[in-house]
Amino acid sequence: MTKKGIKHLAGRVGGIKNLILILLAALWLLTLLLDIFVVERIFTPLGYLYLALGIVFLLYVVWPLYTSRRLVRYYWQRVKRNRLAVVGLAFVLFLILLAVFGPLFTADPTAANFEEKNMPPVGLSIEESIYNAETGQFITKTITGTWEHPLGTDNKGRDLLAMLISGAGVSLQVGLLATGIAIALGTLIGVVSAYLGGKVDNILMRFTDIMMTFPFFLLLVFIVFIFGPNLAFIVLVIGLTGWTGVARLIRSETLSLRTREFILAAKALGASDGRIVLAHLIPNVISLIVVIATLSIPGVILAEAALSFIGLGDPAVTSWGMVLRAGQQSLDTTWWVAVAPGIMLFFTVLAFNFVGDGLRDAFDPRSSV
Amino acid sequence: MEKTWLRDYIIKRLFYALIIAWGVLTVTFILVRVGPTSPADKYLANLAARGEEPAQVIAAIEARYGLDKPLYEQYASYVGNLVRGDWGWSLSTSMPVIELIKTHWIYSFQLILLSTILAALVGILIGIYSAVRQYSKTDYIATFFSFIGISIPNFWLGVMLILLFSVQLGLFKTYYDTGVPLFSLANLKQLILPVITLGTGMMAGYTRYTRSAMLDNLRKDFVRTARAKGLPERVVIGKHVFRNAVLPLVTIIMFDLGSIVFGGAYLTEIVFGIPGLGRISFNAVFADDYAVVVAVTLISAFLVLLINLVTDIAYAYLDPRIRYD
Amino acid sequence: MKRVLYILVSAILVCSLLVACQPKGVTGVFISGTSAGDAETLNWILAADSASFGYAGHTVDSLVTYDNEWRIQLRTAAKDVEVSEDGLVYTVTIRDDLRWSDGSKVTAEDYVYTLKNLMFSDWLNYPYKSDWQEEVEGEAVFVTPKVVNETTFTIARQTVEPEFIYTVRNLVPYPKYIAVKYEGDVEAFTQAQEFNNLTYTGNLGPYKFKEWVRNDKFVVERNPEYYLGKDTGAPYFEQYIIKLFGTSAIAHAALEAGDITYTGIDPDKVSKFKKMEGINVYTVPTTGYLLLAYNLRDNGWGGLKIKEVRQALSLAVSKGLIIERVLYGFGEPAFSFIPKVSPWYVAEGVTQYGVKPLLDKEKARELLVSAGYDKPVTLTLLTNAGNEEREDVGYLVKEQLSAIGIDVELKFVPWATMLRKYLMNKTPGTDEELRYNNGLKAVSEEPWDLMVIGLTTNPLSPSGQDVFYATKGGLNFFGYSNIQVDELFKRIKSKEALDEKVRRELYAELSRLVSEEQPVDFLTFQLANAGFQKKVKGIEPGINMGYNYHLWYFE
Repeated sequence: MTKKGIKHLAGRVGGIKNLILILLAALWLLTLLLDIFVVERIFTPLGYLYLALGIVFLLYVVWPLYTSRRLVRYYWQRVKRNRLAVVGLAFVLFLILLAVFGPLFTADPTAANFEEKNMPPVGLSIEESIYNAETGQFITKTITGTWEHPLGTDNKGRDLLAMLISGAGVSLQVGLLATGIAIALGTLIGVVSAYLGGKVDNILMRFTDIMMTFPFFLLLVFIVFIFGPNLAFIVLVIGLTGWTGVARLIRSETLSLRTREFILAAKALGASDGRIVLAHLIPNVISLIVVIATLSIPGVILAEAALSFIGLGDPAVTSWGMVLRAGQQSLDTTWWVAVAPGIMLFFTVLAFNFVGDGLRDAFDPRSSV
Repeated sequence: MEKTWLRDYIIKRLFYALIIAWGVLTVTFILVRVGPTSPADKYLANLAARGEEPAQVIAAIEARYGLDKPLYEQYASYVGNLVRGDWGWSLSTSMPVIELIKTHWIYSFQLILLSTILAALVGILIGIYSAVRQYSKTDYIATFFSFIGISIPNFWLGVMLILLFSVQLGLFKTYYDTGVPLFSLANLKQLILPVITLGTGMMAGYTRYTRSAMLDNLRKDFVRTARAKGLPERVVIGKHVFRNAVLPLVTIIMFDLGSIVFGGAYLTEIVFGIPGLGRISFNAVFADDYAVVVAVTLISAFLVLLINLVTDIAYAYLDPRIRYD
Repeated sequence: MKRVLYILVSAILVCSLLVACQPKGVTGVFISGTSAGDAETLNWILAADSASFGYAGHTVDSLVTYDNEWRIQLRTAAKDVEVSEDGLVYTVTIRDDLRWSDGSKVTAEDYVYTLKNLMFSDWLNYPYKSDWQEEVEGEAVFVTPKVVNETTFTIARQTVEPEFIYTVRNLVPYPKYIAVKYEGDVEAFTQAQEFNNLTYTGNLGPYKFKEWVRNDKFVVERNPEYYLGKDTGAPYFEQYIIKLFGTSAIAHAALEAGDITYTGIDPDKVSKFKKMEGINVYTVPTTGYLLLAYNLRDNGWGGLKIKEVRQALSLAVSKGLIIERVLYGFGEPAFSFIPKVSPWYVAEGVTQYGVKPLLDKEKARELLVSAGYDKPVTLTLLTNAGNEEREDVGYLVKEQLSAIGIDVELKFVPWATMLRKYLMNKTPGTDEELRYNNGLKAVSEEPWDLMVIGLTTNPLSPSGQDVFYATKGGLNFFGYSNIQVDELFKRIKSKEALDEKVRRELYAELSRLVSEEQPVDFLTFQLANAGFQKKVKGIEPGINMGYNYHLWYFE
């Protein structure tokens, strides 16, 4: 493969990036097919989602950002001035660190220890009564919180802090992956629909309409119930049902871009449709995509939490929604189990909202940040 | 202003709405029937059924509800009945689906209505105020609270409210009592906590939308003109700025209604034990009661379509600049 | 003056006497709270869930019921069911004052029709029809009901089954005059208005159907015509309401706030409720028991097929710990499937694994070594996802078994999957339908080793458990087979067991054998806690405490 040959090929598909994408995508598909039909587990289903999204992310987000560092610095200056956004970002980073390194320092969140069930957080005490069937009397003892379980334990003796940390990991993963899928799909449909216009636009938008009219949550509950609560599957379903809003927004932005000079120029110079879409349109909607993505993550995280809360979460995974579900049964006794995950969810969602809002203000040329 | 195209537009939209509704119906129907679960499961689960041939049990149960016929036949008869006004039989509650919906829709409706009113009133007022007094302390506080409102997971909020007000303080009953007459003060009282739960999230959204819509308009030229004319500030804001901000705001409120509300109302009903359509459909999913699931999906899809259509028409009618082709 | 005084005093005396002799007045509304889920239908002959029978049961009585000591309490039967000498003919005599809602008499014809044309029919497919079948020359045939006169009918069998009488006593009729309209058409029968709204129940029950708001509440109102209430004025509640709650926590809060009259109390909340001023909590035995099933089929751990290995496992799992940590003390160790409250219960000779002295990790290891199965091994333990109690037991079992070198992997599976992939089985290489017991060579689709499940036993006729423990038992999904056990079950269901003394001996032998054999590890018999407002009077706590609920009243 000569350098010239590669360049030629790249030109055909709209850029060197697209060439790499196609190659990696083919590799990914191959591995997936091998996994299903020939060998056993190479990667978990979640792993495949990560790989797919990782490839797209690296090529179309990290690479462009790297090549236009000056621009990145400019926008970062603008974001920095919004204090709330900075705080939000700090929290998100903290959460990531917690999710990645936390498990090294805490107990196994699935390790049940019935000797230590229902322990309160450090400093608090609670009473426990066991019935003696022969005497008909109760034996009461007081349990006090210890530093071994700083936030207490649930009714199976699992450490609450460990469960919260595990939940952070789950929420971040779900947020990232599901949003990624929704964004990727929505962007593709929105841009293609707006750029090609006419019949294609019509059909795609009708399809989007149909998807939009489905009651999102009912559909989610429904599908997960029928096909089973598996985390990768839940992520996939949330992503596949949540792209409609993105598609609409991207489409209207692309519509306005379509008539701009640089697109007309590219067309006049003979660029193919594919190249225009991939090399010109998409990079220009990236700022919008980033904002939408950041603001969609909270919704996705809450959707997963709500699913776990009604009992349709993946039982093998400790998520905040699951802990909340366990805790709401004994609000009057072991209330900390219900309060803690709610607080975590709240702050996480809040943080992402702050960041998204800040990003939006930063990218909006009209606002005087 | 002549808008003859409006009539054609409405007809076209209705036609599309019908197609979409049909699409929704078909997809839901297929999903339910094609899934690996079956209403016979709970019969199989009842081990006291003395080890009857499982295959026979499944066949018997399916015969009972007409589920043994081929898929297209079931679909055809379902749609046929639907057109005639027969929504089918709910197997998990053993009553006609229409009756089920008739007795339970009012609970969802009152919850959503009151929450929307609360959210809209409070949200819009705060939004206007914080736009007019931009960057003031009130603005920051309002923004802050609206962020909090959007971020609180509403099912957690519901649980916390019950913990605080019903269990600890004993101010409200711990469950929703359907025996209380609908148009009574007592019913209003027991709706306070659920409405707060559902309304908070919506309210926060409205605040922010109103604020940004108002801000957008405050910068426009006509405001400067109005002020230059010497009009009192209140008139400027109320009559001119707000009027212009209302349309996009209404659109957004309507969209919100369609997508977010049904999910949020669902969870609120479950947490507070309100027997509305959300709870009914939830239980129906777990019981493989396809008739109810399809019916509720259709209804909410239909409502969304209707709201969108009405909004678009009102928009087109009110805004002289718009024309749909 | 004096005369006026006399008259006044006598009047007062007479009045107060009248008031005192008045049957108890109607005293209010009883609200029963539950979080166990709504009933499926009031057309109870179609139902498989106990809630449906429970709801309908407020409007129609069975022939006979039992008090807490298993003494017969007559209901719609005029006298107890009679059994012929040879045990083959059962004679039922019903009261002659029973009426349907249209005023017509309830006759033996209705009962026989319900049996022959509904329960035994092909088109209806009654889920419990096997209760009325017997095996004759390898075939399952129905028993033969026959009308004798307006208030009497007989049921004839070809084989003797001493415990059939319990099934007969539970009989509740459907009205023939309505049912004939739907005969043969199961869809129409399912949707029949009269059956789904219980409009036919007449004077057959203490209450009449009033309304049912799905997933919210079920309301029945006092039936002034109730045949048992003629002299006493029972029942004493204007309405009986079953109110549904999403979780037990909310039901508890409602009881505490005085919004409802009764609900079941979770084990961990009992001490709190016992301390409350206005609440009485009664601790009563139940018919539910938990067990650890061993997969004795070919796709389970080979060691489980060996009795000593199973005994070793049972030696290691502490029942007391399960009762203390999972049930908060509200349970009793189980060693067989016959509970203490059963008239057939016997304690002597029963091997008590899981409690001291047969709770010994050292001994367990020794047994494993001597059986040759002491190598470290990982076993899969299944339980129904979403059932807190069983998950907890699963965790505890895992903890206990790890101490004797057995690593346990927990798997929580949704019910439907559990049924299809783990309980049902078929012989590999054949084309047969999946069944719960396709013979000893059959295996389930997915392998498993241990399973925590909960079953209910019938204290009066524990022989019904043969569906699980007999080789050909229809629900013997774990593949247990023991000729002696089979033999004992057969004898209990035969002529010789008509003699109650003989039956007791047979049951005693069965308990001893089963407790030693350990086909499964019987874990606990659970206790339940019923919380009532103090003002409810007339309650007799026990295994059947609801038997006289029509006599309860508020003070």
